Amino acid sequence: MKPADQKDESPVYQRVVLKNASPYHYMKVCLVLENESTRLSAVELKQFIITGLKSLYGEVGAALNFDVLKYDADTLTAFLRVYSRGLVKLWSSLTLLGSYQNQACAFRVLQVSPFLLALTGNSRELQLD
Amino acid sequence: MSVFMDLNLIYTGDRTGLRTLLETAAHLGFSTVAINYVFEPTSKKKQEIPTPTPINELIDHLPVVQGRSRPIRVLNRLTVVMSDSSHFRPNATEYRSFDLLAVQPTTEKLFHAACMLYDVDIICISVSEKLPFFFKRAPVNGAADRGVVFEVSYSAAIRDSTLRRYTIANAINLMESCKGRNVILSSAAEKALELRGPYDVTNLGLLFGLSDGDAKEAVCSTCRSVLLHAETRKTASGIIYTMRSCSDSAGQEGAPGDPEHGDPPAAKRHKLVLTQ
Repeated sequence: MKPADQKDESPVYQRVVLKNASPYHYMKVCLVLENESTRLSAVELKQFIITGLKSLYGEVGAALNFDVLKYDADTLTAFLRVYSRGLVKLWSSLTLLGSYQNQACAFRVLQVSPFLLALTGNSRELQLD
Repeated sequence: MSVFMDLNLIYTGDRTGLRTLLETAAHLGFSTVAINYVFEPTSKKKQEIPTPTPINELIDHLPVVQGRSRPIRVLNRLTVVMSDSSHFRPNATEYRSFDLLAVQPTTEKLFHAACMLYDVDIICISVSEKLPFFFKRAPVNGAADRGVVFEVSYSAAIRDSTLRRYTIANAINLMESCKGRNVILSSAAEKALELRGPYDVTNLGLLFGLSDGDAKEAVCSTCRSVLLHAETRKTASGIIYTMRSCSDSAGQEGAPGDPEHGDPPAAKRHKLVLTQ
């Protein structure tokens, strides 16, 4: 039994809320083309995304800085990084991009996260045997 | 939880195209889609309203939605493009074979009538032209009270840059009048490459002027309320629902007792009330 004059130390809880924890947002995107044998290089992909930004948002949109961190030319899958302020602009211009060199195309955005580590696992592609 | 729906997939006669469209929609995560038959009556000759082909004729094995264990649900929808008030006949029998009913008014009077009077589920906002009329608060709020939703389609924005401007302009106009409630976003996709995933569509909602919560609702919960509204349209105030029973003997039970068989004719027969 504790002596009466000793105060009980109640546990102190502290809630930490991180707003805008990460300055960047990371996206994993895949380009699906009508003609499936077409291949793009990383430079061509970046140029294509910049054209999309320019057609939707103009010169100011095309000036948005984004990086292609990793690119797999066989599956046309890329990891993009953009400042969090520019996420809505980049994402909406990827959504509305419709044609690449006169063939129909679609950008499938697979994952979006403010943390790059979160893009390593995707429960939708999980294969349960 | 959130069940994503895309209530506007244009019906073209192409069966294989439709099959790939349904498979893509299931792969992207849409749990329910509606195949849209667009009917545009011209005043010159009388055209028949198309009858929907049954789903099991279109595709044998419905694909399973990614992330869920159920197959995708496919409904039939009719859109009547109206340029005159005689084009939409209320309570026409051909409308019964469709699950959803939509109307696309082209003039202000028709828009007002569609919002306040017509028995439809969805009012489409056209994207191929700059709207000749402005949205007034009165009919928009009247439609919201009745449960009718407004629909904006985004695939025109993917195809062409002029249509892109019209889509965004009309959508922003609509959002200002309706304050972001009772809106659904859907593709009007004819090919599989014109479909976009549900979170992409939510992001497009942000572009059209919706808030974060409203944009997500435009793809899931408002769509679900449209389906419920469509079901109540077929019932008596949403309480009693009659269904044709499959076997003949079951069909006879509703009839009054036959005196030859010695059934007691005095008591009223218990009416079969089937609720779904």
